[in-house]
Amino acid sequence: MPLILANIGEENVIRKVGGNPETKKHLENLGFVVGGRVTVISALGGNLIVGVKESRIAISREMAGKIMV
Amino acid sequence: MEQSYKIALAGNPNSGKTTLYNRLTGSNQFVGNWPGVTVEKKEGTLKRHTDTVVVDLPGVYSLSPYTPEEVVARNFLVGERPDAILNIVDGTNLERNLYLTTQLMELGIPVVVAINMMDAVEKSGDKLDTKLLGEKLGCPVVEISALKGKGVAEAADAAWNAAKEGKTVPPLLLQARIEEVLNQIEETALAGIPAAEKRWYAVKLFERDEQVRAMGGFSPEVLARVERLIQEMEEAFDDDAESIISSERYDGIGRLLADCYRKTRTGKLSVSDKIDRVVTNRWLGLPIFALVMFLVYFLSMVTVGQVATDFVNDGLFGDGWHLFGIGSNAYEEAQEEYSYASAVLDGYETYIEENGSAPAESFLYAVEDEETLAVTYETATLQDYEEALAILARYEEEPDPAAYGVWVPGIPALVGRGLEAANAAPWLSGLLCDGVIAGVGAVLGFVPQMFVLFLLLAILEACGYMSRIAFILDRVFRKFGLSGKSFIPMLIGVGCGVPGIMASRTIENDRDRRMTVMTTTFIPCGAKVPFIAMIAGAVFGGSPWVATSAYFIGMAAVVVSGILLKKTKMFAGEPAPFVMELPAYRMPGVVNTLRSMWERGWSFIKKAGTIILLSTVVVWFFTYFGVVDDSFRMLEESELDSSLLAAVGSIFAWIFKPLGWGTWQAAVASLTGLVAKENIVGTMGILYGATGDVYGALGAAFNGVTGFSFLVFNLLCAPCFAAIGAIKREMNSPKWTWFAIGYQCAFAYTIALMINQFGRIFIGGIQPVGLVAAVALFGGLLYLLLRPHKKVRVPKEKEQVTEG
Repeated sequence: MPLILANIGEENVIRKVGGNPETKKHLENLGFVVGGRVTVISALGGNLIVGVKESRIAISREMAGKIMV
Repeated sequence: MEQSYKIALAGNPNSGKTTLYNRLTGSNQFVGNWPGVTVEKKEGTLKRHTDTVVVDLPGVYSLSPYTPEEVVARNFLVGERPDAILNIVDGTNLERNLYLTTQLMELGIPVVVAINMMDAVEKSGDKLDTKLLGEKLGCPVVEISALKGKGVAEAADAAWNAAKEGKTVPPLLLQARIEEVLNQIEETALAGIPAAEKRWYAVKLFERDEQVRAMGGFSPEVLARVERLIQEMEEAFDDDAESIISSERYDGIGRLLADCYRKTRTGKLSVSDKIDRVVTNRWLGLPIFALVMFLVYFLSMVTVGQVATDFVNDGLFGDGWHLFGIGSNAYEEAQEEYSYASAVLDGYETYIEENGSAPAESFLYAVEDEETLAVTYETATLQDYEEALAILARYEEEPDPAAYGVWVPGIPALVGRGLEAANAAPWLSGLLCDGVIAGVGAVLGFVPQMFVLFLLLAILEACGYMSRIAFILDRVFRKFGLSGKSFIPMLIGVGCGVPGIMASRTIENDRDRRMTVMTTTFIPCGAKVPFIAMIAGAVFGGSPWVATSAYFIGMAAVVVSGILLKKTKMFAGEPAPFVMELPAYRMPGVVNTLRSMWERGWSFIKKAGTIILLSTVVVWFFTYFGVVDDSFRMLEESELDSSLLAAVGSIFAWIFKPLGWGTWQAAVASLTGLVAKENIVGTMGILYGATGDVYGALGAAFNGVTGFSFLVFNLLCAPCFAAIGAIKREMNSPKWTWFAIGYQCAFAYTIALMINQFGRIFIGGIQPVGLVAAVALFGGLLYLLLRPHKKVRVPKEKEQVTEG
């Protein structure tokens, strides 16, 4: 399922990162790699704050929809 | 000096690079708890080894060429090849930070890894064996705390040694299958490349990096062979080449850390997360944000800032002030009593003048509001007159503030007295007092407010809340083409556009930032308030909806411009994907916060000393000089309609004819508004004040429609010089500065034209040509607003189709 549907506070494993190459590469550089763990910390209007590796990253709904967990 | 070295400082955004840079070089660069503080690279000399130059690169997550920061960092590292790289690594986020390290190690440049925030790592109970990590990486690893200065000397020495020895680091090995392919690429394509740099180019060729492929030297056959190798791998891994490398790097880092890093805390929420749960909560997020903004605005603009600004305006750059307020109240009472008495006396005399005899029982007297020049009439009886006479007899002359309490004269008074004592020429004292001090003083008056504001913003930024604001507001502002980060500049713009524009610097996306800079001054600033009040009072009988509508027009102008500009070629493009790292909340450091406040405040003061100083001198000259009776000379206040400014105004006036106010007075008032918007009131006061009744003259010169057109034009057109200077600084490009000013003026002209021409339909006096133009512009505006976005969205949709 896409990351936007994940429950808040639940740790998930990333299955696939989609989007155009640029977006995808940017997400991967930030630590969104297949097999990595991701936790949704907070959600507001579809935008998410997620924990990935040890950092907290805010991503828009559109981008969160491209990350499959 | 035998040999000079160059050391590059590289690391993730917000990992403490600039703090370390300041420690290493002893310089005072501003640091923010906000990713992307360093946009350009900076250079300084290493304190411990003066033969060595340290280059602070912008923070990057990788060396792919996708963001401007990455391009700056990568071009420097690959193009200029420093003698060593000091890689600063955030110890609290090792995996993600070492991802960049693995790429730096491939460049064939000696690398020293400095693990920052080791104190925080130890406090959290995690264990990191840096010695073992160094052995595994094959490069020196030092523990530092940039904030406290611990280990910085060791890091400097290690980097210097590495530069001297020039020993390169072995790259992190990936899976055997990929290593094999990389070797094959090195053999097929990279024969002419120095051995130490082969790895970097091999990986980049594997990732199909455009810059490396375009570098030249690769024959089509070679590239085709490389392509076959890549495709084989992509099929084997069922993923694209770039992703294979990223995943492999993270896997490699995981293996590396397995032995030397022990995490005690897993899956638990940190303090920072708990704060985020509340602060960015879907219900509480917006109310908390509104409260914070209210406090910022209240503290800087209303309470502390206002008091300080009043002091500077009325005291330092006014007549003077009472030390510690001693004598202030006594003086104010005396002054009030005196001006009341003289107003009554004036009214009495006017009555005699007009009626030829003394009033039988009561008469009217005029009371003028200092700020807006509004005149109201009150009734006085003969008894009041007797009392007034008694009061005036008691005072003999107007109360002098210096006679009450401890009086410190202001700068204008001091300078004026000095000039008088020195017997200075009238033009010199005019230039200094009416030109320089009045003009620059008016601008410097905003300094205290700005310092308070900058201090609060620095605190918000340093504690980490600023980046959350962007997150909270992003969805709302996206709708009209602005970023969530555009809110702060607009809010500050209600007080003064200059700090507002400067606050836009925190928006890292170029398009969003330019758009914010262009639209911030549409919001009526504090300096426009007296002018709005004047038009409301003189033309609209003091109707409160005029001022209210000014704010709505300002906001509407922002929204309309946002939608409209987003659809032009300059701002079109795939909407910048909203991804930003949120720093952990932390207590702001005192020194760093003050430094941030000072840096921003000082740049404003510097501007007041240059561009504003120059422009006030020019405007003063044009206002107070002119040709009277065939001779060119300095003018009295009453002769201003012979000034050069009047001549200039007459040249310009025709431009404003279609807007309904093509008189030189109105044109000149708008022009002087460029120096400071408060000037409009002052200029109108002089130009329409010949009869003694400014409001009456204004009411006769403007009707409701032309008055509103005049108001709207001056609200939306180019801001004052101080703000234009700020726009120039933030745009950092003459082309963009002129575009912003041009757009604002054109937009203001269009709206004012429509108001005047459509208004004429209702009040009569239709101008056919103007009306046609207004209808055409209205249609054009609607088209620009409603047309679909530029084609750039197409590839995005296509890609979504293939994906699904």
